[in-house]
Amino acid sequence: MFVYPIIILLIVLAIYAIAYILYGRKILEQRVVKADASRPTPAITKFDGVDYVPANKYVLYGHHFASIAGAGPITGPALALNWGWGLPLVWVLFGNIFIGAVHDYLAIMSSVRHGGLSVMTISESTMGRKARYIFLAYAWVALVLVLAAFLSVCSSTFISTPSAATVAVFYMPLALFFGLMVYRVGLSVKKATIIALILEVILIYAAYYMPLILPGQGPVPYQTWVLILSVYSFIAASLPVWYLLQPRDYLNAYLLWAFVALAIIAPLVIPIIGLTGPWITSFVAKGVTIGAVSGTSAANADIAWFWPTVPLTIACGALSGFHSLVGSGTTSKQLANELDALLVGYGGMLTEGAVSSLAVILPAAIVWDFSAFAANAGLTTDVLLKAGINVTKTPVITSLGAVPRFTTSYGLVQALVWSRLTGGDFVAIYKGFSTFAAWALTAFVLTTLDTANRLARFAWVELFDWVRGRSPGVYRVITNRWVASLIPIAIGAITAAPQISNPLKPTETIPAYQVIWPAFSGTNQLLAAIALLTEALWVYAVLKVRGGVSYLIMIPAAFLWLTVTAALFIWMIYIVPSLPLLYIVTTGVLVAISLILDIALIALFAVSLRRASKL
Amino acid sequence: MGVKEVIGVLITLVAIIVLVYAYASAYATAGGQVKGDIALYAAICGFIVILLGPYLWLGEVPTAIKKFVEAKTGVKLEEKK
Repeated sequence: MFVYPIIILLIVLAIYAIAYILYGRKILEQRVVKADASRPTPAITKFDGVDYVPANKYVLYGHHFASIAGAGPITGPALALNWGWGLPLVWVLFGNIFIGAVHDYLAIMSSVRHGGLSVMTISESTMGRKARYIFLAYAWVALVLVLAAFLSVCSSTFISTPSAATVAVFYMPLALFFGLMVYRVGLSVKKATIIALILEVILIYAAYYMPLILPGQGPVPYQTWVLILSVYSFIAASLPVWYLLQPRDYLNAYLLWAFVALAIIAPLVIPIIGLTGPWITSFVAKGVTIGAVSGTSAANADIAWFWPTVPLTIACGALSGFHSLVGSGTTSKQLANELDALLVGYGGMLTEGAVSSLAVILPAAIVWDFSAFAANAGLTTDVLLKAGINVTKTPVITSLGAVPRFTTSYGLVQALVWSRLTGGDFVAIYKGFSTFAAWALTAFVLTTLDTANRLARFAWVELFDWVRGRSPGVYRVITNRWVASLIPIAIGAITAAPQISNPLKPTETIPAYQVIWPAFSGTNQLLAAIALLTEALWVYAVLKVRGGVSYLIMIPAAFLWLTVTAALFIWMIYIVPSLPLLYIVTTGVLVAISLILDIALIALFAVSLRRASKL
Repeated sequence: MGVKEVIGVLITLVAIIVLVYAYASAYATAGGQVKGDIALYAAICGFIVILLGPYLWLGEVPTAIKKFVEAKTGVKLEEKK
């Protein structure tokens, strides 16, 4: 079978459109949660001008999309190319529609119906008080880990692509300006958007020619960036949402939508160029695909069975536990109308799926074999060499690391499209677009950074609500928004900044957080499984939705739990024993704790489900 | 205008001047790179400081949002100090 880019594009768009209308609107919105525009949301009833603030639905969609899309929708599918391009694409579409988007939408709606509380706290109403505090502590630790990782990723990207730093630094005043135009001057969102977008284009053009390079050699610029970004994250997470978060994410979303739109345009311009990659390379990939540490025996062993391990590799593009924290954290507190939740939650997740399927997997499928791509595109391999791609050294896309797989394939496809449309120089256009791809990645990461810090603050406040009755003074101090924002980012910075000796290659150094990071994919996806179980139980026990419709949520929840649990066992059995001692006492212990928690919570779920079925 | 607002105005003005200086200085140097000189620190300081200035100056609850919430709830919101 010969598959063309245009066919994949049409299939993906058709599936998303059908899913949005039939599954999202007809089932979830109308039959499950019965969303009602007249029911006041927490943004109105608990309005405080800081975290509970109603937002325009397009502004909120921009915030939600920019926040849930970290590096995951890009790096995960890029790494999953080790299975071929077809299997990851199928998983992104399936996971996105039946699990991820359902999970995100219900996280928002369950939170909205519980006064804007997190899905962790909502678990108390379905699974009891113990489940709630375990879940909250688990989520808080996971968020601190996210902060450490994103501080590190962002700092490294700013060093490797200094123009991305310029964009980030000068983007903030622009976002503030937009917020002031809308909220203070009273300009309409439409007019303010036009003004801000003109300035944004000028800024992006200027940034390309003004890279921001920190002085010093070795790790100095890295640690300086970690410090600067920590200060930024701390301030941004404490300020009112309308002031920076809403306008920044809204404007940022345009950059990200431009990035997705360009990916959609490509198959329309080169509709029948041949795909050069294999649909499936193997159902079993090397352990490094699912986070086994490079240099260990597990990294090169055939242990990454597509099922059940795929959620450990592809997170945000298909489903991710972090999304439930965003949905029931910042998003639910800004929802002005229950009917907005479908676009924001379900639509936001489908948009993220489009990033994975159309901006990462499809371009990779086109350029996979660089020589074959050059022949299909009417180019010579010398042109690719001038663009920095040596087809002898790296003949296929999977010879590259995860991020270069993305920037290279996105850049090559866009270069082909725009050189054909404009007659411009292929190499120059390629360099421009691969830089643009790096900016998009940084934009995704930076918006997620301060949202994660704000979410950690929310989780912290809910975690210590029992102190309020016993010692109101202490409660006021530890839940003060500046204090509660400082603690997680300080711990994140402390684990991201120091460079330690790599236990596997003592001559090299790695950021300290990396000894615990391999566990993150498992903890994050376990969070997704627990959140979806909580939501399924909420639908069944609280909303009293029974029969066929309830199975549409219960079955994906059970499937996800089974998949993630099996994947975590594979991790414990095959990967943890291959790790050096330092990794075992950090990553290994965290995975073991996750598994214990996993079993305990499914037991609580079963008991609660039985109790609810009798009511 | 209270002390907080005055400080906010001053910080905002300083931040804008610092950011404009960073841009202008970068354009004045060869290649336009913001690289290892005073312009770099100006850009970063401006970036951090401008997050706080308008916030102190303009306060917490924008009028547009306040009116929207008051219309929805029918309750007049209290002024935040």
